[in-house]
Amino acid sequence: MYSLVRNELLKIVRKKRILVVAGIIAILVGMFTYAQWKELDRRLERFGDVDWRTTLQQQIIDAQNRITSSGISDEWKSQLQLRIQQQQYYLDHNVNPVEPGAPTFMRTFADHSITLFLPLMVMVVAADIVSSERSAGTIKLLLTRPVKRWKILMSKYLALLLSISIIVVLFGLLSYLISGIVFGYQGWSAPVIIGFSAEGIELNTNAVQLIPQWQYLLMEFSLVWFVALVVGSIAFMLSVLIKNTPAGMGVMLAALISGAILSNMVSSWESAKYLFMINLDLTAYLAGKAPPIEGMSLGFSLIVLTLWGLAALAVSFIVFTRQDIY
Amino acid sequence: MSEITLAVKGLRKRIGKKEIIKGLNFELKRGEVFGFLGPNGAGKTTTIRMLVGLIRPTAGTIEIGGYDVQRNFTKAMSHMGCIVENPELYPYLTGWENLQHFAGMLPGVTNAHMEEVVKLVRLHERIHDHLKTYSLGMRQRLGIAQALLGKPKVLILDEPTNGLDPMGIREMRNFIRYLAEEEGLTVLVSSHLLSEIQLMCDRVAIISQGSIIKVDAVKSLLALQERVVWRAEPLARAKEVLSGFTQVHNAQDGTLVTSYSDSETPLWNKAMVEQGILVKEMNRKLPALEDLFLELTGGESVV
Amino acid sequence: MKQGSVRFVFIFSLLSMALMLFGLGWTIQNQFFSGDAGSSRMEEVEPAGEAATSIKGKFVVALGDSLTRGTGDDSGKGYIGYLVEELQMKTEEKITLQNFGVKGYRSGQLLNQIQQAEIQRQVKNADYILITIGGNDLFQGGQTLLEMNSEKITQARKAYLDNLQKILKGLRSLNEGAVIFHIGLYNPFIDLNDSALTTQIVRDWNHETSRLLDQDQKAIYVPTFDLFQLSVNDYLYSDKFHPNAEGYKLIAERVASLITW
Repeated sequence: MYSLVRNELLKIVRKKRILVVAGIIAILVGMFTYAQWKELDRRLERFGDVDWRTTLQQQIIDAQNRITSSGISDEWKSQLQLRIQQQQYYLDHNVNPVEPGAPTFMRTFADHSITLFLPLMVMVVAADIVSSERSAGTIKLLLTRPVKRWKILMSKYLALLLSISIIVVLFGLLSYLISGIVFGYQGWSAPVIIGFSAEGIELNTNAVQLIPQWQYLLMEFSLVWFVALVVGSIAFMLSVLIKNTPAGMGVMLAALISGAILSNMVSSWESAKYLFMINLDLTAYLAGKAPPIEGMSLGFSLIVLTLWGLAALAVSFIVFTRQDIY
Repeated sequence: MSEITLAVKGLRKRIGKKEIIKGLNFELKRGEVFGFLGPNGAGKTTTIRMLVGLIRPTAGTIEIGGYDVQRNFTKAMSHMGCIVENPELYPYLTGWENLQHFAGMLPGVTNAHMEEVVKLVRLHERIHDHLKTYSLGMRQRLGIAQALLGKPKVLILDEPTNGLDPMGIREMRNFIRYLAEEEGLTVLVSSHLLSEIQLMCDRVAIISQGSIIKVDAVKSLLALQERVVWRAEPLARAKEVLSGFTQVHNAQDGTLVTSYSDSETPLWNKAMVEQGILVKEMNRKLPALEDLFLELTGGESVV
Repeated sequence: MKQGSVRFVFIFSLLSMALMLFGLGWTIQNQFFSGDAGSSRMEEVEPAGEAATSIKGKFVVALGDSLTRGTGDDSGKGYIGYLVEELQMKTEEKITLQNFGVKGYRSGQLLNQIQQAEIQRQVKNADYILITIGGNDLFQGGQTLLEMNSEKITQARKAYLDNLQKILKGLRSLNEGAVIFHIGLYNPFIDLNDSALTTQIVRDWNHETSRLLDQDQKAIYVPTFDLFQLSVNDYLYSDKFHPNAEGYKLIAERVASLITW
């Protein structure tokens, strides 16, 4: 099995997939770093100082004003309400929610990447892991070896697992190293508050804990990794089912993007919470944001995603081991 | 010498309502090159893919080295090497990495054995180059090297000379003969070209529309159809004499055509000479498998 | 060398995976099985009460309702924005502005707002404090005036004055030196029926406010009633309630003329 996994990893490395992904991440991190740096500059000019409390207070005031404007949807209103209460909580407890530094940048970047950007990066590796063997015809050599088919598929899945792990860790490393140039590398032990929960439009602070940022990051990245794994498994299944790589990618893209769009407008369609793409934003639970649909929680989403991942794997294995190769 | 390495019994494949393969039976022996001959669409590729485990048969059994492909896949496969259609390998790896890749999937392939195989297919000078830079002939040879890695008893090659230049074809032919004669492998070769089968195979199965029409030694099949073309003067007299021995056909260009027999034909010649007929030309005509095929399949085109 | 890169990737990815698995385990433990988190529980942190950071130049804090926010001005500046622009022309010093206005705020809400630590911190720094408040107490989106229930209006005014007094006291306790400007109300309904009555109500309201401010030497009541009295429609936004850009500029000019360095 080791040599099989090694084979698959060799192919992924030689196809330069991980390098491509790392390149894309580096470019994006660079862009976001620059954007944030500009924003900081602007704030400095406008308010004279960049005390985080000043900024946070202004954000609260802005949100309060937005809530009162007419034509704002009820869901958005209650989300703003929660956010205000949370920010106020930070302010009241003198905890900076965005301690400047590379670790904070990592945190916000991962928050924003979990639903779309990282799944896309995973797709770069996962989408053609089986289908490329089929379209290139090398599958015929693979499957005529004295190795059972499920083992071959398993080795591919394990290689995917390893690649996803690399991608997530590279994602963290690159965003840390690049953003640190501008923001500095400090801030690992800055306090972060977790454990907010929403009760209607009221913020429940009974279970809040103060944890150091590195611990938060570890938790956040492990959730990111989990999401990447599930998305990877589904892309993997599509790669088995659909011989044509671009077609498989298209299906996956459509699902991911529809998830991003749906999340903002499904609160009344309750059964949508069983769709995997609605459940991708795991880190939002950690940060205490309101879920897209009433009744969703971290546990719920973890279970839904796990089931999707397992189902995708089951389908992949059943189809792959029985399929006739023409 | 008569060890059976590949046995096929009652092999059938149905896709939807259409039966593509309608019950094939044949056995291959150690050290022989077996031809699989038929027009495109006759079911050669489907059959070969069933032999190598890519397609599940609807009915029937396949045994390689004594192991059933369905029930004992890994054991059966460990006795077989194959190239199905083109030798599709990974273009972004080097030749050596490609071999390593496949060696990793076999039990106990040593580096020394890999080098041996590479030498055998004469790729040792280019083995560390990227596959992208290989010519088709080199890829074909690497494909064979890959098939030989596991020291198989049976080698299955689907259209091995497809796309090769005449040099390459001849090389491949010699190599296949070498493997069978010197290494004792059983080689199954499929082709839609008669000339090829004729030149490299010991036995041949002729397949058409999913059934085997005939399995026989190439030599005896050929012998059945071998003819002699005569040019003699005077023609009418020559025909008279030959008619005494065998059937004679008049060809348009003023020649006579008879069947050929190793023992008889010289005697006919002697008789004509004795009768004072001038025999200008006696020509044995070999590639008559086309005719045979046309006869067997009832007019279906071969190419 | 080439083999090495694959081995490196293999080992690196294994380590990554182990780290992620560990993290996931921790997350699950932390989120679902740490019923009593004990030591990691949020501890009460003392609120931000530290000394004000020194800011160069003049520091203006604006508090209040939609007028402070600038509702009705398409450029979004409001009287505060124009005021700062105007002051900036008069002085070399840098003027820094913190605008805490929230649309729809009433005196009670403002009173709550100035209890917040961060607002207090900013107030401590202020050289000038500008307030617009009371409009929503009185008009309540236009409802009170339409009902013309004098009893209710009296009630609202009493509550408002009570709150305003507490607000002023609160601000003074934080910052003794700052000059407080309170912007008075105008009558947006002066062109409508019953203008005599509405005008009377607004005048009473302003009068009481002004009297309250008189108790503080450094608190200034800035009237706006007269600005809008004659051509109210020229200076109102299309909602016929908030000032438009021109209206805000009038208010800003008046306040600017009161500020001297």
